[in-house]
Amino acid sequence: MANPYLVVENLTKVYERGQVVALRDLSFSVEKGEFLVVIGLSGSGKSTLLRCINRLVEPTKGKIYLDGVDVTRLSSARMRRVRRRIGMIFQQFNLIDRSTAIGNVLTGRLGYTPAWRALLGWFSKADRDRALANLERVGLRDKAYVRADQLSGGQRQRVGIARALMQEPELLLADEPVSALDPATSHSVMQYLEQMNREDGVTVLASLHFLSLARRYGTRIIALKDGQLVFDGPPGAIDDTRFKEIYGEEAEEVEVR
Amino acid sequence: MTGYPDGFLTDPPSLSWPVVRDALARRAGIAGRHLAIVFLDVVGLAILWLLVTYIYAWYGLGSIAYTLVPWWAFVLGVVEGAALWESFGRSLGQRFAHRELSGASGVPTGGQRVLYFIGWHLTVLPLVGLFFDPPWHERLSGLRLGPPVERGEAPRPWYRTSSGLFLAALLLATAVAAVGVTITTTNLRRLFTEAGRTAKFWRAFFSPDTTILAASGRDLVVTIYMAVMATAFAVVVAVPLSFLAARNLMRGPVGRLVYTVLRGAMSIVRSIEPIVWAIIFLIWVTVVRAPFAGVLALWVHSIADLVKLYAERLEAIDPGPIEAITATGAGRLAVLRYAVIPQIVNPYISFTLYRWDINIRMATVVGVVGGGGIGQRLYHYLTGNLWQQAGTVMLLIVILVWAIDYLSSRLRAKLA
Ligand SMILES: Nc1ncnc2c1ncn2[C@@H]1O[C@H](COP(=O)(O)OP(=O)(O)O)[C@@H](O)[C@H]1O
Ligand SMILES: [Mg+2]
Repeated sequence: MANPYLVVENLTKVYERGQVVALRDLSFSVEKGEFLVVIGLSGSGKSTLLRCINRLVEPTKGKIYLDGVDVTRLSSARMRRVRRRIGMIFQQFNLIDRSTAIGNVLTGRLGYTPAWRALLGWFSKADRDRALANLERVGLRDKAYVRADQLSGGQRQRVGIARALMQEPELLLADEPVSALDPATSHSVMQYLEQMNREDGVTVLASLHFLSLARRYGTRIIALKDGQLVFDGPPGAIDDTRFKEIYGEEAEEVEVR
Repeated sequence: MTGYPDGFLTDPPSLSWPVVRDALARRAGIAGRHLAIVFLDVVGLAILWLLVTYIYAWYGLGSIAYTLVPWWAFVLGVVEGAALWESFGRSLGQRFAHRELSGASGVPTGGQRVLYFIGWHLTVLPLVGLFFDPPWHERLSGLRLGPPVERGEAPRPWYRTSSGLFLAALLLATAVAAVGVTITTTNLRRLFTEAGRTAKFWRAFFSPDTTILAASGRDLVVTIYMAVMATAFAVVVAVPLSFLAARNLMRGPVGRLVYTVLRGAMSIVRSIEPIVWAIIFLIWVTVVRAPFAGVLALWVHSIADLVKLYAERLEAIDPGPIEAITATGAGRLAVLRYAVIPQIVNPYISFTLYRWDINIRMATVVGVVGGGGIGQRLYHYLTGNLWQQAGTVMLLIVILVWAIDYLSSRLRAKLA
């Protein structure tokens, strides 16, 4: 198929509360297998953009085509079927604190589990094995039965990644996945995302705060400013002038090693 | 960052259900907010007027009066007062709704305010104008009732805002009127001179009548059962209702309606005391089985109370896990089961214990009007001037309430 994997067309989001225009007439497209990094100041609309794609946030206007299907027009039942192929990880991890690591990872299968089994918590043997395998993959096999709120930040995000892996996603949305982590942990988490992208062929859309991380992991970068697209190009193309355009005159670039 | 993008409002919208639904929701939101603001201002002004005239009549004229003017003049005054306040100042309602009048070029001019004031009568009084977006009086005056504009100035101190002065006046008037209503020189004097009249009661209280212990013990058990039954059955009803009464879970126009109706109904039910409910149910189910009426009374009141407590807890849950579970493609029920319920089990149990504790105390009060249990026994002794027996029963109640209080607070501490 010649069409790009993900096409965003004239996307606009206005939040009713306070009538904030979070996204303004945004258009871009993403090819399968890309690692697209979204950068921008806080409040520039990064989270809103990612959430419009799996419709955690309802777009006000515009279209989003995923594999040729306009997801903005799908009924909620169909949207659920689309969502299960889209993994998502979050800045605040969004785990169920009172549940164990494996309990959290298993919730990644909910899109594939019949409602009655989901309510009773009866996940299949295959799913349990898969959960253990995914925990193994993120290096947390020994923490499987530890409660999520007993884990460190980096470990919690890795549980989040394992949960997304359970969905066997084609697309991964990562909303500032490392902003709550220290630099060393950040790189370890980013490397898991890179691995998913390279080895499993998962298309990744990640919003990041630091340009250095964006340059290191992204195959392409888009930048938002006040909800508008102000840059779209390869990581190398962001020079000093571009940087000031995106982040404002007073900004200084900070390196994360 | 505010305001719509170019062409956003002028582009003809396509008439699909989501568009219609969003338009309806937006208009309902606008109308609801305006009405809430007007309601608060009108009620506030009315209360102040009533209090001030009452005080004037009581202290000045030595009589009791509430308005001193015909009722229509009172209504007109209050409504016009609200209109003036909302048009020319920042009213209490606007402050509570976190809204402020502003023009396209910032601070409203006097002329715009006059137009707003005139338009207000066309819009708010017949109600229809509210369902336009923007409402008629905003269109007419070019002013908008929007979120406060940040002007980088320090906020005025409370004594320089109309709302602050208004609230201070309301508080002062309430205090003055309250003193006038409740304290008279006669009863104030008696409070200090007539304490001796209760002596025989205290004496009896400390010399219990042990012959009634067994019978009273049985009534005590009935009271505990009444509280347990009322609480248990209230939980069964209140848990599902609480989900419908949580603002963050009830989205969309239909959801918002269910939420509003339910919360309103619950606060009405809650505002009627259990003892009144007991009287209602005594009349309703007659006196065949007295504790039954008591249980029904506690049940109804507990439902309303628990729905409010539960729903407020639901409104405070972390939305993060809901997003995460929704993003996996899980259905609504699975989202509830995995993202919502783990966050609320402990608080729900804790609220239930707390309510059970209240119900034990309420069960004795409800008994006094004939709702069965230990309260009914106490009532018989008190009306029969059997002070010694009444004292014994009260002692038992004190012990029971203390024990339950201790038990439930220990359990709740474990859950926290
Ligand atoms: N639920 C919401 N209601 C109202 N405004 C919102 C909401 N979420 C985000 N916004 C606003 O939308 C804009 C973009 O926010 P966001 O997408 O979170 O930006 P970022 O993720 O880049 O920090 C901000 O101005 C923010 O205040
Ligand atoms: Mg964000």
